[in-house]
Amino acid sequence: MSTIFTLIVILGLIGAATFLVGFTKGVREAVSEYRNPQPEGAWSDEGHYGLSALFAVVASAVVIALVGVAPAWIYAGPLLAIVTATGVGVAFLVGNRRPSAAPGPKA
Amino acid sequence: MDKSVLALTNGLSPGLGFAIMVGLGVFLLALSFAIKTTLVRNTHDFIIADRKVGFGFGVGSVIAVWTWAMAVMMSSAMTYQWGLSGVFWFVVPNGFAVIAMIPFARILRRNMPQGYTISEFVKYRFAHSKVASGIVTLTMIFGILLEILINLKGTSVVISTVFSVDWKVAAIVGIVCVLTYSYFGGLWTSVMTGTLNTLMVTVPAAIVVAAVFEHVQGGAPAVFDAVAAANPRNLSVLRPDAAAGFGITLAFGLLAATVADQTFWQKVWAIRGPEVSRTFFWAGALFYPIPICLGMLGLVGIAFGLTAADIGGDIAAVGPYVVSHIGLPLALVILYVLSILAACYSTIDGASAALSSVVAVDIVKRYWPATKEGPLFVITKLSMLLGGLVATLIVLSGVDFTTLVLTTYALKTSILLPLVLAILWPRTNTVGFVGGVALAILIGMPIYETQGELIGTLSIVAISGITVVIAGYAGSARFDIASLRRVGDDIASEAPAAIAQPAE
Repeated sequence: MSTIFTLIVILGLIGAATFLVGFTKGVREAVSEYRNPQPEGAWSDEGHYGLSALFAVVASAVVIALVGVAPAWIYAGPLLAIVTATGVGVAFLVGNRRPSAAPGPKA
Repeated sequence: MDKSVLALTNGLSPGLGFAIMVGLGVFLLALSFAIKTTLVRNTHDFIIADRKVGFGFGVGSVIAVWTWAMAVMMSSAMTYQWGLSGVFWFVVPNGFAVIAMIPFARILRRNMPQGYTISEFVKYRFAHSKVASGIVTLTMIFGILLEILINLKGTSVVISTVFSVDWKVAAIVGIVCVLTYSYFGGLWTSVMTGTLNTLMVTVPAAIVVAAVFEHVQGGAPAVFDAVAAANPRNLSVLRPDAAAGFGITLAFGLLAATVADQTFWQKVWAIRGPEVSRTFFWAGALFYPIPICLGMLGLVGIAFGLTAADIGGDIAAVGPYVVSHIGLPLALVILYVLSILAACYSTIDGASAALSSVVAVDIVKRYWPATKEGPLFVITKLSMLLGGLVATLIVLSGVDFTTLVLTTYALKTSILLPLVLAILWPRTNTVGFVGGVALAILIGMPIYETQGELIGTLSIVAISGITVVIAGYAGSARFDIASLRRVGDDIASEAPAAIAQPAE
């Protein structure tokens, strides 16, 4: 086995473990919320994603373009796919935002 | 590279193929039973998960429903056909289409917190216009059927290519597996099983793709050299023929596939209010690596000089063919098949859940508002089975479903800009919305047929948008989108435990 393949297997296992830890936390929270529903309270959703979105789009384009520059970049896809699994696990671990203190709107 | 060295991995029998399909279905069915028992009380829970889907499940499930058979197999096929330009044009608009939902999702989730479907929004936005909401409902149903069709076809392609199973039998087994488990838990099942499927699409795919390059004599450098030798343009992302051939049209189609798709809008109203924007951002960004990873299999297809005839005539099969013929151990081939099946199952499951919301809200409750909770719950669940049955019959009939694809494409592309303007522009009115869609189809589709995809698509989008703008300036009415906050919950049979109130 080559070094890169071994690395991908090891990182894949770490990514899968992170995912499953997060998933388990998410299931526990969903069940807990169902059994003890809490008022969500007032909320806002005002984050700005323009620059981040631009970065994501450009980054994906650059990674694909780099595959045409050197063969080592072929492995960027598998490595990033592991980042996806890890990222979903992290999303569980980061968890939900707390309700803001802002008052709700008039109906 | 000599393609004569490629041979089917030993042990890939039809029985193993069925065992994998059914095994995955049974595993997800067990999960579905647990979810049904724990989290689903009524139609409201079934179709909108009590609006309690959190950030993690939101991200995982949005990735899952967007990871079609298209993403996992067509990324390899486009790379095989166009080189890196193929995967470039396939991938870049794909993730962006998910992120592009953010501004629209944010507005509607905040201003219509009790919503269920995009057709329901159109109904209230255009003074209960049956024509306007009917067009959108029809578009959603066609779109959902197409999602099921395409992914069912994807399931049958991979199983028939790898295990030499009759594709019709594979399609039947596949739909039975998905509908059996999705029938029980509705959206919660779709969200949880879909999220698990995201794990199955990512890590196994990464290991299998790396293993494929490990099994090529000379590894990635040899593939790189062979691809360049076949055609130096294969290693460029700037081929104009790829952009004109499918890239630009696909970009518009993908935008319509998210913004004009109930599968995504159902998620918008099911995810907790404060989580909607960042969920769609994370999902779009994290989606990108999946088709990039699997697209690399297309390079191996080029390197070996495979022809369409070598892989059964359908270039979508290039990925499954490479994986099952490159000499990988049986376990890795099974892992790859599970990845593809996970993608197909989760998309069909998500589409079925979306169909249940359309049937409950836009058909049963709209036309028979007195329907009680009991019958509504049964009808909602049965609608998923009916949708699956119709899609399966179309696939099995062997008919060329180009007509359905074209009709869905025409409807989705035609409503894209009117829908966007209905959300963003207060002057958008019923005449403009309906007229824009109608004119785009009546004038734009003939242009599409005669002038080709690129000019046709641009014409459809332009005609629909210009019509809405002209009608908007011709009229004087302005819609206050905040008035949608008065829209009640059309489905909840009992008061939800907590109704979220968005902050100003």
